Amino acid sequence: MEIPYVVTPRKDTGLFNSKIAIWLFLASEVMLFGGFFSAYVFLRLGADYPWPERTLPVLPGLINTFVLIGSSVTVVFAWASLKLREWRKFQFFMGITVGCAMIFMVLKGIEYNVKLHHQAMKLKDYSVIEGHLGVESEDGKPVLDHKGSTIEENLIFVEASKLTFDTVRFYKPWVEELLAQAEHHHSKVALAEDVTAIIKVGQPAEIIAKAGEPLSVELLNRLQAVHLAARSNNAANRTEALRAEWVTAKAANPGKKDWQIASGVNIDTAALAPTLLGEISTVPFSVDPPAKFDFHPRDIKAAEGQSRLRDDTVIDGKLLASPMVFHNIDAIDFQHLVMKAKEKGIDPEVAIENSWLMKNSAFVREAWAWHQGEVKKLSAELLKAHGVGKDGKPRYTPTHKELYRIGWKDLAKKAEDDGRTKLSGVDAAKEEFFGPNYKARGDETFPGLSVPREQVGFASKFTPAWNTYYAIYFTITGLHGLHVIGGALVLAYYLFFGKKMYLSNPEWLANRVEIGGLFWHFVDLVWIFVFPILYLM
Amino acid sequence: MADTPEAIKKSVRTYMFVGAILFVGTIVTVLVATVPWLDFGRHGFDAADCILGLTIATFKASLVAFIFMHLNHERKAVYWLFGSGLCMVCSLAGLTALALGDPIIDKFFYSGH
Repeated sequence: MEIPYVVTPRKDTGLFNSKIAIWLFLASEVMLFGGFFSAYVFLRLGADYPWPERTLPVLPGLINTFVLIGSSVTVVFAWASLKLREWRKFQFFMGITVGCAMIFMVLKGIEYNVKLHHQAMKLKDYSVIEGHLGVESEDGKPVLDHKGSTIEENLIFVEASKLTFDTVRFYKPWVEELLAQAEHHHSKVALAEDVTAIIKVGQPAEIIAKAGEPLSVELLNRLQAVHLAARSNNAANRTEALRAEWVTAKAANPGKKDWQIASGVNIDTAALAPTLLGEISTVPFSVDPPAKFDFHPRDIKAAEGQSRLRDDTVIDGKLLASPMVFHNIDAIDFQHLVMKAKEKGIDPEVAIENSWLMKNSAFVREAWAWHQGEVKKLSAELLKAHGVGKDGKPRYTPTHKELYRIGWKDLAKKAEDDGRTKLSGVDAAKEEFFGPNYKARGDETFPGLSVPREQVGFASKFTPAWNTYYAIYFTITGLHGLHVIGGALVLAYYLFFGKKMYLSNPEWLANRVEIGGLFWHFVDLVWIFVFPILYLM
Repeated sequence: MADTPEAIKKSVRTYMFVGAILFVGTIVTVLVATVPWLDFGRHGFDAADCILGLTIATFKASLVAFIFMHLNHERKAVYWLFGSGLCMVCSLAGLTALALGDPIIDKFFYSGH
């Protein structure tokens, strides 16, 4: 069957069909991205924390902008080449376009990778530090866990003597993980006591599992089956008994409303008891000898004596020191602390002086003193350049970020002022992509810091979890990246499989490339807004 | 839209010129955001920088839309389709923006009535 209007335009619209289709699609895309840009504006205006202004590295974004603009030019050249029936030129320009798409995604991948490996932590007093976490080590060598992996120093350790599982909610992978950790520490996890329950109505309680039986998923599954069967039986019996009570009560109180007799309708628990089966909602296991278990902070609500996992497994035991250890810190940020201090009417300088970081880290104190000197210099420069206003105050003053954030470039400058390593050329350019080069600049520039667990307010990598800025950043750029991949696949298809169509119906291929090109230009058009909004504002 | 070989050859020069403007526009945007003496308005990022940055971005986007996407000489149907999408975004974003300046509190609670 011949598809109509692929080359010749329809009389009513004046356009070939696929062009109508792509513009309809692009109109929906405008609304999609428009919605996300609106979301960005409202998240920024409504943020209850200092918005991370101009926080992304500009260079990768700038190069990506050039790459996309370049590809927009080459895709239109590719279309023009087809119109002029120059197949080789088409291949050349389309090849560059697809290549540009690949470069764009590689650069985006690098940018994402840096974010996903960069740690941020907000202390309970709202001061923030950024950097990279260390791994546990002994005698300079990393300690390996039971899986043979290094242990990032952001774990919560508990010396457990007893584990109590919820028979309904227990999470199989965590049970296996606990077993593996216990085995690694040569500990045995076994039932602390006999588990008994009535499993047949009218029969005495039976032993379901004996004390000393080792922990296994199969055992928990078995206990869960008994528990659920009992729960089902008991619920049915209770409902039946309650129904019978209602029938009796209604018969005894004719004409009365339900709410008038409801308080007198109660199940006779003594009469019901013989019909009930034994429910086993929790099962305790002893850990012998007590072993050191580690947990990701997001999975455990830690407390001295008794902690609880998200699947309601209760861990009895001693909460061990579980500091969060930064191998290198590359930013100290008091912006949020100052914001909170101002809300409470506290002098920001006093709040900073009283922060945990200032009281416990000599490096932070030193960096802050240096930073204040830099702020004074900047204030003087602004005063000299712009003078004072009518009120006699300086017309321009340092921004909130300049006043209260010491970024990695500031720390690098401080180190350079102190006569330490100065990077230039390619090394300096690499830092714009990959972030601070700890190795080249040394631990004196970006020293380590150990923060006790009780001081940690919230910690995360620079993922959508960290704040709404990163949530919208990943949403918009991720969606845009998917569009780049989709568009590149379509254009690559024309490049590698278009020859046959070119030989049989070149105008049809030219129209197809025009459609693919329109989508590609739209992808470029979106990035033209994404770049300044996310990277420069 | 250019359809004859001559017209297409002519428009290729336009595409190159527009591409060059887009590159320059990008550099200008970055300079305005990063070079202190090109910082408009107050010191640091402010409304003036925002307006300037978005104006340049809108100009660049218009070039892409009108020249590369041939919106400068398209059929009516395309303008209707794309225009309606744009109008929908603007009107919905505008409606939500009204929430930021809720007039009810001022009118009924602080007007003295």
